[in-house]
Amino acid sequence: MKKVRILSLLSVAALATTVLVTAPTVAAAAPLCDGKSPIQTCVGATSDGAPYAMQVPANFNGTVALYSHGYRFNVDIPAGIPLVGGYKVTNTPEPVPGGDAEVAKYFFSQGVAILGSGFARQGWNPDSAIKTNVELIDTFKKQFPKTTKVVAWGSSLGGVITQGLAEKHPELISAAAPLCMADNVQPQLQGAGDFLWGVKVLFDPTIKAGNYSAGAAGVAESYADLIKVFTVMGKLQAALATGAWPDTSSATGKALAAAGVPSRSALLLIGLMAGIPTQSAHFDSISGPDGALKLTFPLALSPALAILENGTEAAALAVMATQDVENQAGGAIFDNTQTDYSARIEGERVIYNAALSGNTVIDALLGALSPANPGAPRAVANPAAVAKMKALHTNTGKINVPTILMVGVADPITPAGASQRLVDLYAEQYAEEKAAARKAYQTTRDYKNPVNNLLMIWNTTPESYTKFNAAGSPITTAPAAPGTRHCNFTSAQLVLIAKSLVQASNTGKLPSGGALYTAVRKAGNLSIDKGINFPWMKFYTDNQ
Amino acid sequence: MKALNRRKLITASAVLAMLGLVATAIPAQAREVGVTSTQIKLGMTLPMTGTASLGYNKIPGAAKAYFDYLNANGGVNGRKVTLIVEDDRYVPTEAVAKTNKLILRDKVMALLAPLGTANVKAVASSVNPARRGVPVLFVNTGFSGFADIKKYKTTYTVLPSYVMEAKIMGEYIKENFAGKKIGLLYQDDDFGTDALAGFKSAGTNFAIKVPYASGSQNAAAAAGWITKFKAAEVDVVILFGVSSATSAMLGVAAQLKYAPQWMLGSVGGDATTIKLTGVPAGVLYNAIGFSPVPATTDMKDEYVKFFSDIYAKAVPGSPFDLNVLLGMNTAFMTAQALKAAGPRLTRKSLMAAIDSKGATFANSALVPAGYSKTSHVGLTGYWVGKYSPTGDLSPIGGTYVTYTTDSGSGPVVKSTYKRPAMPAKGLPN
Repeated sequence: MKKVRILSLLSVAALATTVLVTAPTVAAAAPLCDGKSPIQTCVGATSDGAPYAMQVPANFNGTVALYSHGYRFNVDIPAGIPLVGGYKVTNTPEPVPGGDAEVAKYFFSQGVAILGSGFARQGWNPDSAIKTNVELIDTFKKQFPKTTKVVAWGSSLGGVITQGLAEKHPELISAAAPLCMADNVQPQLQGAGDFLWGVKVLFDPTIKAGNYSAGAAGVAESYADLIKVFTVMGKLQAALATGAWPDTSSATGKALAAAGVPSRSALLLIGLMAGIPTQSAHFDSISGPDGALKLTFPLALSPALAILENGTEAAALAVMATQDVENQAGGAIFDNTQTDYSARIEGERVIYNAALSGNTVIDALLGALSPANPGAPRAVANPAAVAKMKALHTNTGKINVPTILMVGVADPITPAGASQRLVDLYAEQYAEEKAAARKAYQTTRDYKNPVNNLLMIWNTTPESYTKFNAAGSPITTAPAAPGTRHCNFTSAQLVLIAKSLVQASNTGKLPSGGALYTAVRKAGNLSIDKGINFPWMKFYTDNQ
Repeated sequence: MKALNRRKLITASAVLAMLGLVATAIPAQAREVGVTSTQIKLGMTLPMTGTASLGYNKIPGAAKAYFDYLNANGGVNGRKVTLIVEDDRYVPTEAVAKTNKLILRDKVMALLAPLGTANVKAVASSVNPARRGVPVLFVNTGFSGFADIKKYKTTYTVLPSYVMEAKIMGEYIKENFAGKKIGLLYQDDDFGTDALAGFKSAGTNFAIKVPYASGSQNAAAAAGWITKFKAAEVDVVILFGVSSATSAMLGVAAQLKYAPQWMLGSVGGDATTIKLTGVPAGVLYNAIGFSPVPATTDMKDEYVKFFSDIYAKAVPGSPFDLNVLLGMNTAFMTAQALKAAGPRLTRKSLMAAIDSKGATFANSALVPAGYSKTSHVGLTGYWVGKYSPTGDLSPIGGTYVTYTTDSGSGPVVKSTYKRPAMPAKGLPN
């Protein structure tokens, strides 16, 4: 499958080259189509300069699937920065997730065209991206007048864009599928800020963790933060068993270390208060190696290792997205002056009590992170910047069209709780629709049960999956477990979503019943159990 | 459209009529997860392996022994009870995974007697049985918070709360150890927090309180605890932890010849379990203990005799101890709840039966249960005993004097509770 993906990406890159060479330089000109069969490819740019790609099968049946890609950094990342160094800003169009050839093949087999914009602006961009998509739909319809239906889908921030499109322009689309959907900008960046603030005040006070300078200086500060955060993570990993603290720790951190608080417990606590999952690509918080650590590993070590793995994956985005949105809003956006971190972890402190080293240590850590400790100063936002951030596009959660959500239960960047929020809000919406139907019945005597317009699919983790080598050390080179990492879906799972979108657009209804159960089972590791319930992002703990 | 609605109505009426016929033909048939006309499936998670499993891993065998007896005598309304047991090793995240399996894959009707405050809390927040309408019957934890009917609406406690136990301990200390220096060893989580609340309510003053993080209990840790208690020159040491903590403490104390007046909480106070770890019985002699059910050696007690006989046949050679008695008692109460729910058994009818009749269920406890439509509180008190030279807990003075209280600020009072007689053949009626 990897090979297929690489090939597919190459083909997208080739398209981009074609645009550079032959496409008209004036934006919003008619698409440039190659006229090939059985798949015709068209490229162009919308009026905002965003390049797009369309691929239309010869048997086009009038339905097109519009895909919105996720967050891409909006600045280049210098080589040498761990994990993300060498990244170059790109607005290459992505008409199917990650260029997945299986997905494209399925759509084409059904006579469905694919369409995607690279968007004019990278970073946090739903405001402009939704407009781009509206224009792109119009452009496609003009180019292919046979078009009757548009289904929209997207991943991560693309999920926000997709949901936003469905909320603002339900008349344009027949069905939507926000995948591994991010929450709105404030809850999402509050979680990022909580984690970065915790790392800063305990492990390295020279980390800025937000409130970056404007312009290039701020970008440089964010690069420095990336290096420092990754350095801290490396030191914490090295000292996980001993519980030693990084040499860069703050006075507060050093006092905790002197009191015998293990650094792994501190790391776990800040992960929990930020809402980071305690299952990660290689750590299930359940398994232990044979021998003395059989029980100690899952109880005391694995949750912290999961936070370390997830936190490392999320850290780059946390830093760069904070810098990006601050730049858009004109100042510091993270504020925890009113945050009660004790309330944030109320549910988890007993569950992870052993890994947190007991109530005495938990209370010591919460005391150290409290506003009463001048050694851990709270972050103060710029009110005008916060107001501007709040004015950025925000989804209400209203479901207007048949909608399919899918998310990994241990996604470290867009937690399952972001999708759960839509599920819960829709439950309220459905109840209201039902009440209205009952009321209408009083006069019409014709009761119509409202149609269910939301299908939630959870990408689940196996019961246990951490592997150990003969020496009892965890193996971290194995492929990530299903349900973990960000937007970690298989081709089969994505094809299931594609099929469901096509069905919904054809019938106006979401798949259901035995056929759905069979399809979900065949796609693997998925669950549509309505009893599954995840907490909303931690932001909502403070703002309910 | 109206014509269509009429057709639907006619069809629905026909279906209802057919259902009526079916209902007449098969009276006991109910449509509920985990319930068929011949079987009721229940699921249990608890530590069967690992250090924390000590003693508690006998509970499933005890419950199964009673259910096998029940099934051999016709079951409940013609249905046999099947108990599926999963080992969670006392790891909360594993309890979540195993409970998910029980609910989603095994499709049990109800969860029975899950063990451990952290585990039950983890399951409540991650699996959310309340949202699914799954009953969580008779949890094996005394955390008082589980009586919060709004938060844990399908959960029923059975053990007296740790707050109650600490309040009763506090009263006993007041009456018998006034002026003595008291030390407390407690688990540094909600288990211990509950105990601290109870002692505070009782006005108990401690010369020293020693917390231990769950999972950290072992001989090396115990040596450190003893050093602290010695330094504080305490006369009485209360061990309010799990069995493995009690055993580690008493084992090291025996080696170091440290012998204060011991007072053992019921969670870690089962003598059979403690002795199994190699702790000499003599160390327990004259220690003070607490229990809601009769002494396991009291064969004059009809419940103890009945359960002991069944267990001896089901698990020959396995000692009959407090964990076994509590496990069988829980199964016995469950059988009565299933019976009281009637032939059309559903999750809702099961919980309604406990709400309306649970307080009157026959069971071995010498203290009352508090079940009602507004309370899921189980047993509400203890009797006080002393350990014999062979390590068996018996009532002080040879007679059970029971105390009852609540998890709030209510007083500790002597109970006048009259235990119901055992139903004929120990079967629900």
